[in-house]
Amino acid sequence: MKRSVWLLLILALVVAYPLLFATPFLQRLGALVLLYAIAASAWNIVGGYAGQVSVGHVVFFGCGAYASMAFYTHFGWPPIAAVPVGMMASIGIAALIGVPTLRLSGHYFSMATIAVAELARLIVTNIEALGAAVGLSGPVMPRTVFDLSFTSALPYYYLFLAVLLVVLGLTYWMENSRIGFYLRAIKDNERAARSLGVQAGRYKLYAYMISAGLTSVAGALYATMYGFIDPDSGLGILTSVKILIMAALGGAGLLFGPLVGAAILVPLEEISNNVLGGKGAGLTFVVYGAIIMIIARFYPSGLLRLVLDRLAAANSASSDKKVRDAA
Amino acid sequence: MLLEAINVTKTFGALTVVNAVSVSLNKGDILGLIGPNGAGKSTFFNCLTGDLLPTSGQVILNGEDVSVMTPEERAVRGLARSFQVPQTFETMSVLENVMIGAFLRTSDTAKARRRAYEILDLVGLVDVSSAVAGSLGTPGRKRLEIARALATDPDILLLDEAMAGLTATEVRHAIELVRKIHQTGMTLVIVEHIMEVIISLAQQVIVFHQGHQIAHGTPQEVTRDPAVVSAYLGKRAAANAARGFAGDPA
Repeated sequence: MKRSVWLLLILALVVAYPLLFATPFLQRLGALVLLYAIAASAWNIVGGYAGQVSVGHVVFFGCGAYASMAFYTHFGWPPIAAVPVGMMASIGIAALIGVPTLRLSGHYFSMATIAVAELARLIVTNIEALGAAVGLSGPVMPRTVFDLSFTSALPYYYLFLAVLLVVLGLTYWMENSRIGFYLRAIKDNERAARSLGVQAGRYKLYAYMISAGLTSVAGALYATMYGFIDPDSGLGILTSVKILIMAALGGAGLLFGPLVGAAILVPLEEISNNVLGGKGAGLTFVVYGAIIMIIARFYPSGLLRLVLDRLAAANSASSDKKVRDAA
Repeated sequence: MLLEAINVTKTFGALTVVNAVSVSLNKGDILGLIGPNGAGKSTFFNCLTGDLLPTSGQVILNGEDVSVMTPEERAVRGLARSFQVPQTFETMSVLENVMIGAFLRTSDTAKARRRAYEILDLVGLVDVSSAVAGSLGTPGRKRLEIARALATDPDILLLDEAMAGLTATEVRHAIELVRKIHQTGMTLVIVEHIMEVIISLAQQVIVFHQGHQIAHGTPQEVTRDPAVVSAYLGKRAAANAARGFAGDPA
């Protein structure tokens, strides 16, 4: 009961944010936080719940982004109309990568996903129809409202919020159904899970495919907002790392972990880019590296888990005190 | 016939670890597997569960050849196990651990939770149902593994040294639990170091020595078998008798 009150309060704040902080910079910042929260929440399904750390999720992000731009460029579709195409392609690619690599344990899966992502970047860089090294652009002027091309970030903010709520809703449903339990069991101890009849390979693949499909939606939204995609922004390893770090920093395997991570990292990056200008681009890598080390060393289960544990400890301490006082 | 092993052989390279072992179990039987460390009993056990595939020979479960099936395929067909070193889901609660087992027979979370509570009640872990499995001690985790296996609603339960590392009192409680489970009509295979456990529980015993099955019979027959006495129990029984108890606590 208390938890739902808190959640409603936070949701109300999130809905009101772009109206309370009505500057273009802060609205755009809010929209970006939500966009990356979508991608990180999608990653969380396979990386957080199932414990299969994909470092190549940008492939799916790129799939969604490229599908929307390519179908606009070649067929004149509104960019957002190609979302199902991007999802289908991502799910197909996830199956192709997942079937051979999800048998690999631990780091080998991660390395395989990096290899595939880099391969995809190189291939796309050499395909003219996908804009090669230059990239693809969306509509310069909106033809209809369906092009979703706005100068203000406000419409994007609410669009991203709606998509994020769908992704989180799906994750919440999953968390409380058999597949969610099975994924956590596989993450904890795959051998034991299999002894209880859990088809570990199949469930990991399901998680990977669902995660891939949702990540591609984030890619399509990114391309729609920026109206442009190139191999670096759409398929660069930095985007993979960014998605992963947001989930890990906030709390992998927790429903709201990726959102917390995005709410910390996106402003950090935007502000450092603004302060440092173009020179800051390389520094981003250094910052990410440092964050990876700090999370791995001090908060392997993420900041949200830390806060939740502290709250739980404080609660039990205060209830202990109440018991003592009563006695 | 519920479970049948026919000439099960397992080799690792040139080393034969299990050599042509055969056994058959009817519903409600308890089979004990004993032998010194490295005798091949755990390897044979893992060939039954599917964690290892036999090099040759067959494993028949409920009339179906499961020799090359994976552990999860065997679990669906009614086989459940515990592990020598407990393999609980450390970050999940005791209840959630058991629910993973229950989910094999239902996809409904509420039903799985209800079934898990029933099992926890049976094994006496209801009081700690919300504790994280990683916070339990060895006896609790071994008990939890049995609960989790039972939740899959198996026809046969294989226990790999379920008593190892327990104190004498804990062993007594564990034996009571196994008896209780057996009374529900469960068929059991038990790997055990502790002789008194085997003698008090099993109806038939296979004695392993250097990969071979050197004896097979009731506990009484086996302990009187000259081959067993000389190869395995002889030295130990003598030593144990001198120390005043029957069995190796390790």
